[in-house]
Amino acid sequence: MKSFFRMSYPYILWIAIFIVAPMLMILLYALTRMGNETLTFQFTLDNFARFFREPTFISVLIRSLRIALETTVLCILLGYPAALFIANLSEKKQTLMVLLLTLPMWINMLLKTYAWRGILQNFDLVSEMKVLIGMVYVFLPYMIIQIHTSISKMDRELFTAAYDLGANRWVTFKKVILPLSVPGIISGITLVFLPAVSSFVIPKLLGGGDYVLIGNLIEIYFITTGDWNFGSAISLIMALIIIASMYLTKKIDRNAQEE
Amino acid sequence: MRKLIEFRNIVKSFDGQVVLKGVNLNIYENEFVTLLGPSGCGKTTLLRILGGFLEQDEGTVIFDGQCIDNVPPYKREINTVFQRYALFPHLNVYDNIAFGLRIKKTGEDIIAQKVNRMLSLVNLEGYGKRNVTKLSGGQQQRVAIARALVNEPNVLLLDEPLGALDLKLRKEMQRELKRIQQEVGITFIYVTHDQEEALTMSDKIVVMNAGEIEQIGTPLEIYNEPANAYVARFIGESNIVTGTMVKDYLVRVDDREYECRDFGFKPNESVDVLIRPEDLTVVRPEEGVMRGEVKSVVFKGVHYELMVETKTGTSKTVKMHVVTQHDMDNRETGEKISANDFYVDSEDLESGALTDRDFISIANAQAWDDENRDISLTEVSHNIEPKPGVYNITFSTDKKTEITVKVYVVHPEYVEDARHNIGISALDFFITPDEIMESMAISTDLKTWASAEAWNLQDDSSVEITDVKFDFDPAAITEGSYDITFATRGRVYKVETTAAKAAGDKVGLAFGPDEIHIMHKAVEDA
Repeated sequence: MKSFFRMSYPYILWIAIFIVAPMLMILLYALTRMGNETLTFQFTLDNFARFFREPTFISVLIRSLRIALETTVLCILLGYPAALFIANLSEKKQTLMVLLLTLPMWINMLLKTYAWRGILQNFDLVSEMKVLIGMVYVFLPYMIIQIHTSISKMDRELFTAAYDLGANRWVTFKKVILPLSVPGIISGITLVFLPAVSSFVIPKLLGGGDYVLIGNLIEIYFITTGDWNFGSAISLIMALIIIASMYLTKKIDRNAQEE
Repeated sequence: MRKLIEFRNIVKSFDGQVVLKGVNLNIYENEFVTLLGPSGCGKTTLLRILGGFLEQDEGTVIFDGQCIDNVPPYKREINTVFQRYALFPHLNVYDNIAFGLRIKKTGEDIIAQKVNRMLSLVNLEGYGKRNVTKLSGGQQQRVAIARALVNEPNVLLLDEPLGALDLKLRKEMQRELKRIQQEVGITFIYVTHDQEEALTMSDKIVVMNAGEIEQIGTPLEIYNEPANAYVARFIGESNIVTGTMVKDYLVRVDDREYECRDFGFKPNESVDVLIRPEDLTVVRPEEGVMRGEVKSVVFKGVHYELMVETKTGTSKTVKMHVVTQHDMDNRETGEKISANDFYVDSEDLESGALTDRDFISIANAQAWDDENRDISLTEVSHNIEPKPGVYNITFSTDKKTEITVKVYVVHPEYVEDARHNIGISALDFFITPDEIMESMAISTDLKTWASAEAWNLQDDSSVEITDVKFDFDPAAITEGSYDITFATRGRVYKVETTAAKAAGDKVGLAFGPDEIHIMHKAVEDA
């Protein structure tokens, strides 16, 4: 047992250097005042106050949450029928379809988004619509695969049992398939909503310069303005929002399973 | 009783394999019908066709006077208890049972009343709020039954519902199911491969085999008057022997005539004769209708199961010459070689069936070096002719280490037993004490050394030699000649008795005309 534990040392070291230390740095920056040097030790909560006092920042935050929510809902609406369709195919075809779905995930997101920029230039759409299309395109496979996995794991005999008890196909879907696929939908949401909230490449490339989401805001403060302290504060706020929403979905999932 | 279901000439095949070959079956109201057969006989397929989950290739299913071939499963007044229960894991016990009623838009107060009645019918009062995945197998089974019965179907289909339960629970559920069926008074169609389950619960048993119905009858009829040897073997223990129907009420088995209660066969028709092991009474040899020797005894709890041989098989006795042979040494190369004298059948030589390899193995010729590694024998030379006489054969290795032994060529000596249509042959042989002591399966080795074989005189097919008799101790063998007798299986009866007997005892077997049952020979499937 002890020797197994020893095998995790490199991993712990990795986490400490590349995850824990940067997080602590961000915390430190967010709680200190900007100085001439890179780091001062004058503690303050001004960075947070500044974010919540400025209506522009709040509206960016709300816009980010809204577009992530829209992306998630669209992914569920488009992905569920697709997952259901795939799950009803023969085993061989299912493997092929899942492979085809994962294929675009092997291509760099930056490349895919550039391709969309070219396509969407030809259409007269508002920035938000362009960003939404890009996000749904990128995140849809994650949703489909999660839902498909949960459906294909179900015992087919359950559907037969539902027919036997008088349920037609639609009722069987509503009363058996849908409730049993809730865990799949939940994990799909985790995989779509969270990255969508924080994405910055897609809005930057597809939304044009005037369309700013919270991810872009952080980027601006770190790279353009060089105000690391305020950038860190925004990062921290977003991290808290993400943790809160993760906790919420977990809780919904648990409630659904207990029922 | 009113006819409820009628299967008319149902044919079904999967991937070109015919699973149902034109099944006709009537099922009446309030019956407990069991479809009984081994796995793959088509019983589950028939049930699924009735449930509407499979579509037959040919034929019609009539339900309550109406053809239901095009009625989808959810519109049929039939409910099913599935093999693996198929309970909805996201619903609790109560909601599982209420599933069918909610689809029919029944009022919640009526649902509550009906579900609670079902819970008490299956002895699960107070389990409504439980999570179905946390229930035991037996409890899940009860929920599945309640979930099907609450819809008040005319017919309940049960697909091997007790298969996953342990023996004690299964017995308990058998009684429970029978009670439930009698209480609700609807038709149960029950699929199983367990003959005991079928006998315990059914009003009517349908015995199926390879997509066809072999027999339909009450448990008593099926047990006491099986239609053919297949049914007799499938239900209960049985002794089935071939006999000839001399005339009505008289059957001949092994040259003896026995009175029986069966009639209506063609004169001298070849028939299967069934005697159940529990119908044979063990008596003193002089009192028995048949006489025999106890071959084995197995204690079964309530009774002993004896195998009694009433007639010995065809046999042949040969001489085994045990001699110590001296290994030949080759001082120069450090090799050693050994081989035994042997007998060979002149007929085998004429037909040219024996090669040098065969001679090596019959003579048990082998060579090895000073580190005990095997060396292959590369040369065999002999002056053997296919005429009786004594010849020499020499085996040697690459390095010219050689040994010469005698070969006795003899006329074939078969024992031909025309009455049983069996021929048997075996040859005398030479062997060393070491080889006998090293043997791990002495009977099998003796058969090999003596080239013992038995065959059917009519079609030349091989017959198993089941008995190898000898009276020496393989662990303490000395030089000399020994008799070995090889025999085929005689007539052996399985007997259930409470009398304690030991193997080797001579006993008599008694039975009356009521205890034997004559069956037509089944037409063998091509």
